[in-house]
Amino acid sequence: MDRADIPKALKSPANWGQKYSLWAVYFCTGCGVIEIPPVITSRWDAERFGVLPMATPRQANLFLVTGYVSVKTLGAIIRTYDQMPDPKYVVGFGSCPVNGGMYWDSYNTIKHLDKYIPVDGWIAGCMPRPEAIFVAVVHLWQMIDKGIATGYKRYKEDYEYYERNQREVLPHLAKFESAEPTAARDI
Amino acid sequence: MSEENLKKAIERDLEGATATVQNKGRLVAAVPKAGAVSALILLKAHGFEHLSAISCTDWLEQGEFELVYHLWSYTDKIHVMLKTRLPREAPRTVTASPVFRHAQTYEREIHEMYGVHFEGNPRLTPFLLDHWQGPPPMRRDFDTRKYVQDAFGSTPSLEEE
Repeated sequence: MDRADIPKALKSPANWGQKYSLWAVYFCTGCGVIEIPPVITSRWDAERFGVLPMATPRQANLFLVTGYVSVKTLGAIIRTYDQMPDPKYVVGFGSCPVNGGMYWDSYNTIKHLDKYIPVDGWIAGCMPRPEAIFVAVVHLWQMIDKGIATGYKRYKEDYEYYERNQREVLPHLAKFESAEPTAARDI
Repeated sequence: MSEENLKKAIERDLEGATATVQNKGRLVAAVPKAGAVSALILLKAHGFEHLSAISCTDWLEQGEFELVYHLWSYTDKIHVMLKTRLPREAPRTVTASPVFRHAQTYEREIHEMYGVHFEGNPRLTPFLLDHWQGPPPMRRDFDTRKYVQDAFGSTPSLEEE
């Protein structure tokens, strides 16, 4: 550790701890996930940055949404994100989660991921290089240091906004089921 | 069986069928809608045991859908494109699933994407789309941009921050 980092670490030990233990949930959407295997294995070795993949969302805190998000996938993304413990960070990888990318007029692809779950950072490009993931990780460290990687707090504060958007495209999601007036199903 | 003999057999044994040999190993056959399944049975008897795909084309100007059955014979190394046309209004045809069981899945997809009804297919349930409410999306008169605007809204501008 750098000498200059000591006061920072003493000031907020939790942030300091969190930023070097990012566990990325194994969740593959779209074509961008092809960049993940070289990133986490010997070629680029994400462990140097403290990033390791985790097979279950319950023990992960970094969510890389790699590529286009179809409506069906969005349901799984929301379900996965809801399961992750706080603090959790979402990074949109590639141009498709930003504004739809090349699927901007596709009937089955959501255009702006930030409407449905809070995104902390974006990696632009189609495809971004694996190095871009490390740039994003370093940016995320800085954001955690400054205390502005607060997507998970926004999700709680503005849950109504996110829920409304989620309901708009996925009214049949399992988590909305109990809240729905299910007169037909009660019989 | 050579391409020429196959062309003769198709035109002899199927009513209203025409066939053309495009080049070596490629044959295009057109049959009326009612004869599509009998054509598949005939071709299967001639060794075309692999139905690679069923595709659908929307000929909007002519008011027709065109179904293309792609068949392949491992013994003769011939690819047959069996074409048949349906009216665009309330398109219905008979399923090919008794002849080729996996045709069920292809038909299920065409049903979802084009709204073609396959009589006798027991499983025309939603397939790839999730709780789709709109019209079949691969039809050419489906306005994708308008649908995108209505369903997903516009992307917020960057100045929000």
